[in-house]
Amino acid sequence: MRTSRVCLLFFVVLMAACKKSGPAPADSAPSGGTAAPAAGDSAGAIRIGATLPLTGAESRIGGFYKEGYDLAFAEAAQNGGIEVGGKKMKVELTLLDDTSTQATAASLADRLINSDKVSFLLGTYATNLVEAQSVVAEQNGIPYVNGGGAATAIYKRGYKWVFGLLAPVELLAESIMKWVDTQQQAGKLPKPATIALLWENTSHGKDFRKGVTDFATKTKNYTVVVDESFELSGKDFSALLGKVKAANADLFLADAHLPDYITMQRQYVTAGLCHKIQSYGARGSEKQAAEALGKKNVEYVLSAVWWSSQLAGKNPEAKKFVELFKSKNGGRSPEWYQALGYETARALFTAISQAGSTDREAVRAKLASLKIPSLLPGGELSFPAEFGQQVHAPFVVQQNLPDGSAPVIAPPEVALGQGIAPNPGCAK
Amino acid sequence: MERFLELVIASVLLAGLYATMAYGLGLIYGVLRIVNLNHGGMIMAGAYAGWYLHSEFGIDPYLALLPVGTVAFLVGMGMYRLLVHRLPRGAAGGVQSLLLLFGVWLVMRNIAYLLFTGNDQTVHTTYATRAITLAGAQVSVNRLAVFGVALATLGILHILLTKTYFGKALRAVAQNPESCTLQGIRVDRIYALTFGLGTALASVAGLLGATLFPFNPSFGAAELLKSFVVVVLGGLGSVAGTAIAALILAAVEVFPTAIPGFPTYLTAALGFVLLVLVLVLRPGGLFGQRVLG
Repeated sequence: MRTSRVCLLFFVVLMAACKKSGPAPADSAPSGGTAAPAAGDSAGAIRIGATLPLTGAESRIGGFYKEGYDLAFAEAAQNGGIEVGGKKMKVELTLLDDTSTQATAASLADRLINSDKVSFLLGTYATNLVEAQSVVAEQNGIPYVNGGGAATAIYKRGYKWVFGLLAPVELLAESIMKWVDTQQQAGKLPKPATIALLWENTSHGKDFRKGVTDFATKTKNYTVVVDESFELSGKDFSALLGKVKAANADLFLADAHLPDYITMQRQYVTAGLCHKIQSYGARGSEKQAAEALGKKNVEYVLSAVWWSSQLAGKNPEAKKFVELFKSKNGGRSPEWYQALGYETARALFTAISQAGSTDREAVRAKLASLKIPSLLPGGELSFPAEFGQQVHAPFVVQQNLPDGSAPVIAPPEVALGQGIAPNPGCAK
Repeated sequence: MERFLELVIASVLLAGLYATMAYGLGLIYGVLRIVNLNHGGMIMAGAYAGWYLHSEFGIDPYLALLPVGTVAFLVGMGMYRLLVHRLPRGAAGGVQSLLLLFGVWLVMRNIAYLLFTGNDQTVHTTYATRAITLAGAQVSVNRLAVFGVALATLGILHILLTKTYFGKALRAVAQNPESCTLQGIRVDRIYALTFGLGTALASVAGLLGATLFPFNPSFGAAELLKSFVVVVLGGLGSVAGTAIAALILAAVEVFPTAIPGFPTYLTAALGFVLLVLVLVLRPGGLFGQRVLG
C-alpha cells in the first residue's frame, strides 16, 4: 500500500519534471536582440509578436530561428521600415521564450495578442508547439505566419488565419523517392526494389511514412517489406534493426530527429548493416552527426531539407539572403532554420505592404493570395488554399560524400552533383 | 533460431544498461526509504562529466568511471549532510524528500542548460561503432562493456553487502535503525555513505549512457522512469532483484518486436503495464520486499 502511494506521488512529480524542460520561467522577458515596446507607445510602428523555444529541448534551433527573425527585422529597420499605403512604417518585434513547451507557447501567444496588443504573429518552431499556438491565433482572428510547423495535421483543420512556410514532410519523402526513382530508371537499383521503412511515432514520422508508401503504391516499383515505428529518444533499436537485417531490403529509409539518427546509425553500423540507399529523412548532413559517428559511418546517407545555402548559386533571393546573413555573422553560412525564419518574417512584411494597411483581415487576404519570388527551392512563395495554406515548395536532396561535403543532388534545376547509387560502401 | 539468439543477446545487453541505471535508486530506497528523484540529475551530471573529461582531456569514458564515481560519491555524501539529513525519517519524510530532491534535480538541470546550452552532446570514441561476432550476431563492443560494468557492479555490491562490516551495518540499518543505534552503529553515517554510494552509481550509469546515446540537460528523466520500473519490479531494496527485473523489463521490450504486426512503438509502454500489474498483484515486487539481499 505504502509502495503504491510512493509510486503515485513519484509519477505526479515526474510528470511535472518531464513537462518542465528549460530554465526560463513561462512568462519570460523579451529577448535581448529585439526591443519590446510598452503597449500603446509605438505610434507609426507595426507591432509583431512571436515566441521561440529559446530554452529547453529545442533551444538550439530556436536560437537559429531568432537569427532569421532578427535579420529580417534589422533589414526592415535599415530600409526605414516597410512601405504601407505609400508611407514607411517601422516594424517592432516582441519576442518571448516559450521554453519548448506547448502550454507556454499557447499562453504566450494569448498574452501577445490580448495584453501586448500585437497586430500580427510570427510562429514558433517545432510542429507540436505550432499546433498548440495556431489554435490561439485562429480563435483571436490574427494572421499567424510560421516557418516551424511542417505536419499536415496543422493545416488540415480548415483554419483561415494560419500560414505555413515549411512544406509537408510527405513531400520530403517524395523528394527522396523521386531521386531514388531516377536511379532505378537508370538501372542502378533493382526493379522492383524493397524498402525497410522506420518512422518515429509522431505526426512528422507518419507524414514521412505516407510519402514513401504513397510513392511506392503509385509507381508500383517498390515494396515496403518492413514498416515499423519507434518512440522518440529511443535507447535501443537493436531489435528493430534485427528485423531490418532479416528483411534484407534494398532501401533503408528512416525518419528521425538528430539524437535518434545518431543512436540508430551507431547501432546500424555496429550491426554490420548496409543498404544500397540509406536515408534518415531530414537528417544526415549534420556536422554533429559526422563528429559523433565518424565521417566514414555517414557516407552516402541521403537527406532532404527545406533549404540549403547551396541554393545561392541558382536562386537570386537565396543569394541575397546568404550574403546578408554572412555579412552580419562573421562569414558563417546559414542553415535552413535561419532561412525559414527570415523568409517567414519577410512573407508577413510583404503581405502587409501589399495590403497597404495593418488591418488584419486585409493582411490575411493578401497572405492567402501571395505569390512572390522566394529563397525557397522552386523560387516562389505562395500559400495554396488546397493545402490548407501550407507552402508546397520542393525539397533539396543532399548526399554525404567521402570528402565531407553534402552537395545538393536533386531537384535537377538546383543540383550541384548527380549523387551516387548504389552505396559503394556496401561492396567493401 | 538465429533471430531468437539475436533477441536474447539484445535483451541481455539492454538489461545491463537498465540494471546499471537502477542500482543506485534501489540502494537508496532500500536503506533510507526515500525515492531519490535527483537520481535523474546525477545520471545527467555523470554524462556531462564523462563528456567533458573526454572532449577536454581525451580521457576514455571507461577510465573516467572511477574519478567520476568518486566525485559523485562525495557530492552525494555532501548532499545528504546538507539537505537530506534534515528530512523527517520514515513515511513522514516521504513527500518532503520527493519535493526536495525534485528541486535539486531542477536546479542541476538548469545549471546544465546555462553551462552547456540545450544542444545534444555525444561522446565519440574510437570503438563507438566497433562490434564482435557472438553466436552469429554482431554485438557492439560498447554495449558489451556496459553489460560488463553492470555485472561487475552487481558482484561488488553483493560482496560489499554480505562480506563487509559496512554492508552488514547497512543491512541492519535498513531493517531497524533504532536497534542499530542501541548497538553502537552510527546510523547517520551509514545513511550518508549509502546516499553517496547511490549517487555514485547514478553518475556511473549516466557516464555509460553517454557512450551510447546523445544527451542534453534533459537526459535522466526517461532513465529515472525506467530505473523506477526496474526497482519496483525487483522489489524495492533488493539488489539481486533489481538485476533480474532489469532482464525481465528488457525482454518484455525486446521480444514483442518479433511478433508480426505488433506496433513497435508500444514496446516502451509494456514496461509500465508490467509495473501497474506488479503494483496491483504483488505490491512488494516480483522478488518480495527483501532488504538488500
